[in-house]
Amino acid sequence: MNISYNWLKELIDFDLPATELAENLTRIGLAVDGVHPAGDDFVFDIDLTSNRPDCLSHLGVAREIGVFRRQPLAKEPAVDPSPASIPYPSALAGDVVKIEDPELCYRFTARIIREVKIGPSPKWLIDRLETIVERSINNVADITNYVMHELGQPMHAFDLDKLSENRIVVRTARPGETIQTLDEVERKLDSSMLAICDAVRPVAVAGVMGGFDSGITENTRNVLLEVAYFDRRSIRRTSRKLNLTTEASYRFERGADIMNLQRASDRAADLIGLLAGGEPGEFVDVFPTPLTPNEVQSKDISAAVKRLTGIEVYAKECVQILAALGIAEKEPAVFVSPSWRHDIAIEEDLVEEVARHVGYDKITNELPPAYGAGEYQATEPQELAIRQVLVDSGFDEAVNYSFIDTKYDEIYETVPGLVDERIENRFVEIRDPVIEGAVRMRPTLLPGLVDAIRLNFNQQNKNLRLFELGKAFGAANSEDGLPNERELFALAITGSEISENRAMPGRELDFYDAKGAVESALETAGYLDLSFAAADVKHLRSGQSASILVSGKSVGTIGRLNEEIAGNYKFRQPVYVAEIDLQTVLSERPDPVRYAPLPRYPSVVRDVSFEVNRYTTFDSIRNAIAEEGIELCRGVSFVDVYEGKGERSLTIRIEYRSDERTLIQDEVDQVHASLVRVVEERVKIKQRI
Amino acid sequence: MSEENRQIDKIGEAFEQEFGRFADLKLDSIGIGDAEAFLREVGELKVKHTGKKSAIAEAKKLIGKVSPEERGAFGQQVQSIESTMTSQIAEAETRLKAFIAKAKTESERLDVTIPGRRARTGHLHPMTIVRQKIEDIFVSMGYAIEDDREIENDYYNFDALNIPEGHPARESQDTFYTTDGLALRSQTSTVQIRAMERRGAPIRILAPGRVFRRDTPDMTHTPMFHQLEGLCVDKGITMAHLKGTVTEWLQRLFGKDTKTRFRPSYFPFTEPSAEFDFSCFVCHGTGKVEGQRCRPCKGSGWIELGGSGMVHPNVLRACNIDPTVYSGFAFGFGLERMAALMYSIDDIRHMYDNDVRFLEQFR
Repeated sequence: MNISYNWLKELIDFDLPATELAENLTRIGLAVDGVHPAGDDFVFDIDLTSNRPDCLSHLGVAREIGVFRRQPLAKEPAVDPSPASIPYPSALAGDVVKIEDPELCYRFTARIIREVKIGPSPKWLIDRLETIVERSINNVADITNYVMHELGQPMHAFDLDKLSENRIVVRTARPGETIQTLDEVERKLDSSMLAICDAVRPVAVAGVMGGFDSGITENTRNVLLEVAYFDRRSIRRTSRKLNLTTEASYRFERGADIMNLQRASDRAADLIGLLAGGEPGEFVDVFPTPLTPNEVQSKDISAAVKRLTGIEVYAKECVQILAALGIAEKEPAVFVSPSWRHDIAIEEDLVEEVARHVGYDKITNELPPAYGAGEYQATEPQELAIRQVLVDSGFDEAVNYSFIDTKYDEIYETVPGLVDERIENRFVEIRDPVIEGAVRMRPTLLPGLVDAIRLNFNQQNKNLRLFELGKAFGAANSEDGLPNERELFALAITGSEISENRAMPGRELDFYDAKGAVESALETAGYLDLSFAAADVKHLRSGQSASILVSGKSVGTIGRLNEEIAGNYKFRQPVYVAEIDLQTVLSERPDPVRYAPLPRYPSVVRDVSFEVNRYTTFDSIRNAIAEEGIELCRGVSFVDVYEGKGERSLTIRIEYRSDERTLIQDEVDQVHASLVRVVEERVKIKQRI
Repeated sequence: MSEENRQIDKIGEAFEQEFGRFADLKLDSIGIGDAEAFLREVGELKVKHTGKKSAIAEAKKLIGKVSPEERGAFGQQVQSIESTMTSQIAEAETRLKAFIAKAKTESERLDVTIPGRRARTGHLHPMTIVRQKIEDIFVSMGYAIEDDREIENDYYNFDALNIPEGHPARESQDTFYTTDGLALRSQTSTVQIRAMERRGAPIRILAPGRVFRRDTPDMTHTPMFHQLEGLCVDKGITMAHLKGTVTEWLQRLFGKDTKTRFRPSYFPFTEPSAEFDFSCFVCHGTGKVEGQRCRPCKGSGWIELGGSGMVHPNVLRACNIDPTVYSGFAFGFGLERMAALMYSIDDIRHMYDNDVRFLEQFR
């Protein structure tokens, strides 16, 4: 909001340079974002919080200045609401103004001003409005705008002769009613919207914008000046529905000063008389719904200030500050909020008023007394370890939006147990996305990673390793209606190994690089019982896909992205992805670390190759050996797979060791030969000689 | 001159003839292979001319046979020839060896500026880095890290936070709703409520997490971002503790000379409320860097960071904590903004593009 320094000075006589005033206003909570010179004036750009509509005017800001300068406002006329004080003849309300919805329109004043001459405003008025970046229209429109910026009360001037039967009905719109507003837009009204109507039709959207047809033109002679108070929620609702925010709606939806209507009307009428030659006529004030001021109990305001802020302020000073703000101590321990404040309801509100005027800078810096030990979330150290081991092995951490397109719904398989296939709408969907199409709360992290791969391909980055930790979502038939949320871990790799600061890429990445990353992540987190079982997975290429098992329980999938998805992305190199239900994995206790005594005798190793086809697995050979349970056999490791000339052979290394003695060659050869025979029989393969 | 004298001279002449080209050998234009061949040849000539079976060795045997009166002169002659040969050979060997050693050194000279050999290291996301730094500080101050649901019902996202029906924050204009009418949490304060329900008072927690607001992406907004909120509820907690705590962690993050500033503000879930700023870590509050307007603080010397205040009694009551016994403070701010400040990121949308050229800049 723009506030003029000179204008403030008309409302309160204070002696403070503009920059110092700005600092003081910021200090008390009226944040001045900038002070800009404008001729012989300064404009303050003030960013007000939504609870302070009372400061959306020069009067409101002047009032705050009065509090911290301990000065009264200049020339503020006493507002006496008695009818006798009304300086203009009053008419019978019901004839001119009828409020049909007193719960939406609390108070409505109308003043008739006859024989006005519409024309340009005088220079001082134009200048004043231009200073606060408002455009001049004509004298009467400018005056209503001027008074709003001065006193905070929005108002509207109608051309009286364009109002059917020269009267006003305040009512909700009827179905099908429309109005062309001042901005020349035809707007459909509905029965939730309050309208200012004449005898026949709406002539203004109450508190938002006047109608075009009944507006002031250069031919207007007689004016009806509306100054009213509307229900805040009703104005907000209407403004949102019409997608129309105006200076008026902005103030009304935050709350105007219901006791300030007459003063504002008087001020405008005076100015119209002065500048447009009008002759003020009847004044009508219909006030069906009074607002009871809030009463706030505070037995010991000084103690309350001390309790919440730690600052010592004498009760007398507290009361002084509150009184200057218009918050009167009606009787001991009871404070009454003024009609312009809608935000004073409890003692804590009083404390804030006192504290901000004493100054938050008077509050000391203290640390709370010592307390128990801090702690990370239970699984955080494991998650951190996973992140670190992946980063150390060349992965970059990605973070994607939680909402994705629905087109991925049927393409990707989700981790076990997250999405309940029995539920009809098994995914979570959001209404009104801001990114086109992104209405699905992601049931998998993979589409985000694959999209990221495409983005990087487009930037000529072909060698990528990405991972993400984050939540995925699935609908649930839960008691509280809340969906499943599950922390997942996913990764995607493509291209070749790369070295830091060296341009030449190395070996091409494959399935086993992805698998290795999964292994190191889960092992780092403390889970050693991992296995991978060939499995068909919707989004993975058949024959290069597996489910991932931790302690025999399926927790995710790994493999090469299938041709269909890769084709849609126009990927020309294989992409390998994995996704794991990390939350489920981490909910299990990690495998304990146990020391094994170091071997006292050397081990002997023997390599052996078998002729295999693509269905004979390394695991089946290893298991056959393990099942044999030979004491001297201490381990089986993978050496190599050789393929060529229609042959495929798998070489493994078997380690033999005794805890009692150094093994001799003959003994090892014997055991080894018998193990090879076992493998041949059990797995039905032949040793390759 | 005797026959012997002439023989000795012949030995000298024969040596000169064969070795002459090595005596004034030009090394400028030869390669390491030539030098090694020369060295071998010199070695062979050394054996031939000064070895046990050489002519000079034979001649030495004659010394005893020469008449005593001529023996001295003869011996001198033999020795002179021999020493000439040995020194010439030694000199040639030394030169050649030095040449070879130098050439070898040169041929194996390394370019020590070529980058070291190591696999490419990956990078944590800037959100993770900043979050961890701040979490570490708060854990050391006795806070427990908490997170909770990202999709919430209205009670946790609004009601319990004293945001009544009809409040602008509740409108779908600002908040994402699911088709089932649930809210994507619009602030991590939801975690405060659930944590207070679970743990009761006293409590000290720090809640970092994703939040969602219906902002169209631009340079300073994304529809999803991260917030970090702190909450401390105990007997006798005041705004002084809020100021002290916020100042402490900002000083630990940005240095001991960091100052903070609290300005009155408004949030439905705190009363009194304050926004907090800290003195710019680039210009140290002066607003200028080398005479130019400081960028992170836009020349003001202050960086606006977040909101804070004393927990509203309605919020405490919603969590069954008696506001007449306990009081507490809460504060919160956006992690993207923090990271943008710390790393001078001009467009926070980069945070969610996952462009490796962006990600690899953070360590």
